[in-house]
Amino acid sequence: MTMRHKISSLLKRLCQILWQPLIAVILGFLLGSVVIMISGESPSHVYTQMFQKSFFSFYYLLQTLTRAVPITICSMGIIVAWRAGYINLGVEGQMIVGGLVSTVIAIHTSAPAFLVLILAIAGGMAAGALYALFAAFIYQKCNVSIVISTLMMNYIANYIASYFVTFPLKDPKSGIAVQSVEIPVDVRIPRVFEGHTFNWGFFITILIVAAVYFVIGKTIFGYESKMTGLNPVFANYGGVKKNNVMMSAMAFSGALAACAGMLEIFGVKYRYIDAMFISTSYAWTGLMSGLISSLHPVGAFAASIFLSGLQVGGQAIQRTTNIPLQVSTLIQSTITLFVSVKLFTDFKHRKKQKVEAGDIINGN
Amino acid sequence: METNFIFAVLNSAIRSTTPIMMAALGSSICNRAGVFNVALEGQMLIGSFTAIAVNWFTHSIFLSVICGILSGGVVASLVALLQVKYKAADMVIGTSINLLVGAFTAIMLYVLFGVKGSFKNPALLTLPKISLPVISSIPYISTLLRNFTILDYLSYVVAVIMFIYLFHTVHGYHLISVGVKSEAAESMGISSLSYRMGAVIVSGLLCGFGGVALSMGQVTLFTENMTAGRGFIGMAACNLGRNNPVMIIVASLFFGFCDAFATVAQNRIPSQITMSVPYIATVVALIVFHGERAKKVKAA
Amino acid sequence: MLLQMKNISKLYKNGVLANDSVSFDLNEGEILAIVGENGAGKTTIMKILYGLEHPTGGEIFINGKTCAFKNPQDAMAHGIGMVQQNFMLLPTFSIAENVVFGSEPRCFRLFFDRKKAVKEVIELGERYGLKADPNLLIKNCAVGLQQRCEILKVLYQNANIIIFDEPSAVLTPQEVDGLLNTIRSLAKMGKSIILITHKLNEVMAVADRCVVMRGGRLIDTVKTSDTYIQELSAKMVGRKLIDKSIPEVEKGAVVLSVEHLSQKGKDGIQALRDCSINVHAREIVGIAGVSGNGQTELLHAITGLSKDISGGKITLDGQNLIGLTVRQIREAGCAYVPEDRNTMGAALQSNLTETTLMARQYETEYSKNGVINYMKANQQFDALLNRYDVKYSSLNQRAGELSGGNLQKLIVAREISRNAKLLIVAEPTRGVDIGAMEFIHNQIIEQRSAGAAILLISSDLNEILKLSDRIYVMYEGVINGELLRAKANSEDIGILMTGGELRDNAS
Repeated sequence: MTMRHKISSLLKRLCQILWQPLIAVILGFLLGSVVIMISGESPSHVYTQMFQKSFFSFYYLLQTLTRAVPITICSMGIIVAWRAGYINLGVEGQMIVGGLVSTVIAIHTSAPAFLVLILAIAGGMAAGALYALFAAFIYQKCNVSIVISTLMMNYIANYIASYFVTFPLKDPKSGIAVQSVEIPVDVRIPRVFEGHTFNWGFFITILIVAAVYFVIGKTIFGYESKMTGLNPVFANYGGVKKNNVMMSAMAFSGALAACAGMLEIFGVKYRYIDAMFISTSYAWTGLMSGLISSLHPVGAFAASIFLSGLQVGGQAIQRTTNIPLQVSTLIQSTITLFVSVKLFTDFKHRKKQKVEAGDIINGN
Repeated sequence: METNFIFAVLNSAIRSTTPIMMAALGSSICNRAGVFNVALEGQMLIGSFTAIAVNWFTHSIFLSVICGILSGGVVASLVALLQVKYKAADMVIGTSINLLVGAFTAIMLYVLFGVKGSFKNPALLTLPKISLPVISSIPYISTLLRNFTILDYLSYVVAVIMFIYLFHTVHGYHLISVGVKSEAAESMGISSLSYRMGAVIVSGLLCGFGGVALSMGQVTLFTENMTAGRGFIGMAACNLGRNNPVMIIVASLFFGFCDAFATVAQNRIPSQITMSVPYIATVVALIVFHGERAKKVKAA
Repeated sequence: MLLQMKNISKLYKNGVLANDSVSFDLNEGEILAIVGENGAGKTTIMKILYGLEHPTGGEIFINGKTCAFKNPQDAMAHGIGMVQQNFMLLPTFSIAENVVFGSEPRCFRLFFDRKKAVKEVIELGERYGLKADPNLLIKNCAVGLQQRCEILKVLYQNANIIIFDEPSAVLTPQEVDGLLNTIRSLAKMGKSIILITHKLNEVMAVADRCVVMRGGRLIDTVKTSDTYIQELSAKMVGRKLIDKSIPEVEKGAVVLSVEHLSQKGKDGIQALRDCSINVHAREIVGIAGVSGNGQTELLHAITGLSKDISGGKITLDGQNLIGLTVRQIREAGCAYVPEDRNTMGAALQSNLTETTLMARQYETEYSKNGVINYMKANQQFDALLNRYDVKYSSLNQRAGELSGGNLQKLIVAREISRNAKLLIVAEPTRGVDIGAMEFIHNQIIEQRSAGAAILLISSDLNEILKLSDRIYVMYEGVINGELLRAKANSEDIGILMTGGELRDNAS
């Protein structure tokens, strides 16, 4: 094939892939407009402000990218598990567990900074992985639905972590703020610019996305988990050990979720604050970006940045207008909803296919 | 611990059970029809909100309850259309709708009432608490049965009706057949599509009912995301109850009890731990009472 | 004349002419057999009669009146019932509940009168001589009993014309006798029966008349009393089977040895009882038998897909296979073309590279340290698929987009190219066009010459006869007979398949 032919077919494929999400985005913004108008504001005014204060100003762009870090890594965690057919909804809980454990290690270990950092990262990732593995384990032994167990474990993690940070781990110098002590200065991820929380964690994120892309697309684990997700009978026939795939996928997923938590703590907040991941709903946003991109890592990265921008913009306009910041969540969930519904192109195609609950990889 | 206290705790448990049980019943009718409906949380939350909103604007208890129930059905119609008819992936639709309803109700909370977080107002009408004539004079039983609203009593009636529907009517038989083997049903002219969509909408009405019980049962207020995972606890109760309405009553009471225990123990044990009890109990109960591998439900 | 099908044609949108102006009629109380090979068009014409398909040409007359059936309910209303190959039964419900399904007796209009249903089913059973315990759950019933339930269901709907689609395919030989008796007595009671089958001995045993179809056309209609099996099979096949004699090859040492294998199946019935076979290098061993006699269990035990073996030994080149994982067995030298390419042979949503890579992802050829070299894999698979005449547009295509024959060729390519010591092929040419069939057969023969030990399981007796050096016949979980190529013929195999014994020479 000639170069020109390759490029044109690539463009054609991109159009096919992007057509549906584009319509979904438009619908999302339309719904948002309706809500904005009910609130007595003008959609064009609000949207312009939103985009200015998310992408089109240096300060806010950095804000968007900073916020995109935990969202992206959470979506990586979700992608790894869902692709293998395991619906891990517990990324939030795994993030909390990993974040808290790594913070505790960072605070209480006296050793050279480099070593402390490694221990904290290892400990956090192990904690997140184990938390996810527990759900996988009870699924294997007792048929407990991973959907329900991981979801319940989110609440459990949040409350138990909240207990720890209200009592034993509470920072005595913080007054009524429910949070831990700050982690030592030399363990923190350095900031890039003076006066902004944007830190080198963003570049670590890029590496993580690349790593996940590589693992999913080029490794045996990626291959086996994809096949298990698409047709477990076929995978079993080919000698793929289903339990190994499940354990690896969930452990990997939990470890990634823990990374998301760690980067937020070590790069931005420097301490564990009660409900810090719940109020910001990083995990659910990550889920949405994973779904919007049909579980593709690079697409999810882009979608995460986009959704992060929506949230940052939404927060910004909350201060200057009457619009509550949930408008951005509304727009995001509408987009997610409509991306998943292949109303026109695949309609006839779908009538002939069966849709499996784990089969999110479709149409691409 | 005095006996009356125990009955008071049981009373609190029963009152906490109602929303969970309705969600569980909603889940069971979808499962029986072969639909995996994850949007129970959203179906419930919209019921909670609509009830309070209609309460505020119409000052009519009756309308609040009815509109709350119907709003659950409306959200469920969206699920029925997108997931059952157009066959979109169930997890995606369910999760998106849950998030959407969460955002939507928070926004409307601000738009309609001008507040953020929670809305409570003495002008809101409360559901009358029923006190049974003879029973309310019996010492311990009265403690057990006090302060129930009509919704609490009705929920058990609904469970019994559902039991009768599923296992004694022809329509219920057809519904179960759609979930067991839809090609067999289709071969006899039974439309799996209609039954599935119907089941989803009914689950919406049931969850809406549960949502109304949540925001107007024991308290009369709306808080953002007040369902707090009850939709999923309902799914767990349904799982434990093996999709059987009568067993679901028992399973739901178990979770309601955990909820009540959490509230009661708050004085002795830090609230952060007690609040995690219902969720820990769910996981433990599912582990302990695991059954044979349930067939994965698909709307194929 | 009760039923008349006149010039029925069915042209599908993809150009396939499944039925070409077929005409036949059916009288009251008559048993009419429709015979033909796979793809002859017999199932299509019955689907048309039952309202599952609409004809593109021709008319249907019932009692002289034209009819056009929109759907099965329409056909049922006209007294046509069909007992399909895949039962439409609800496993968690009882026989009575299943029989009345769709037309349940009610009380107070809404409620299911289950007691009345039980009574009606007992009555029905007595009237037609089809005894069945109405309270048994379908999932606890043997296949023959389940089929009886389907028949009762059809009778409950007051069918006058009953179509049986390959009814004996799923039955044990004793159950087949019961079925034929049932058919005879139904006809005596005035029902008209259409029997679709390719089992000519059944046709001769039970049918009054026989319609032979081939290639979508009606070849002939004869009275069974006026003909005999060989004549019918000649008409079915249309030509003498050109037996391209496959080259004689000296067989090598034993590769696969299965000794006294037993396995408990579902519901406590023994799926395998003291089953023993062996396969040598440079030999094709075929296993013949009605499906459901333990072939699947045997295959799954050998390949490691099933674990609950209660006794016996399986060795591959001396190495014990029992207890090993699927992957270990494959690495020990076993390749497997599964019987169902869509559920087990491929993931239809994955692309061709991924489909072809399965079970080879650990080979150093394609991966190193856990990383897969897709470029190399693509190169090699391109060559491989071309060699095996698989027609595809790009390796990125989804497996589900390939035609059945091409997907089967891909799977055969994948498994044969492993050059395994033991190659197991199950139903290798099911649902595959003639050209692909020839090709796959040639590949199997080549592998044999190259030194492989080949185990062939097929429900197509011609395939078994054509390819096998030795034939085992399985019946009720045990090997009922063994025939060498020179002595093998379909009559003897048929006898062994149905549980009989050969009189003249012992196996």
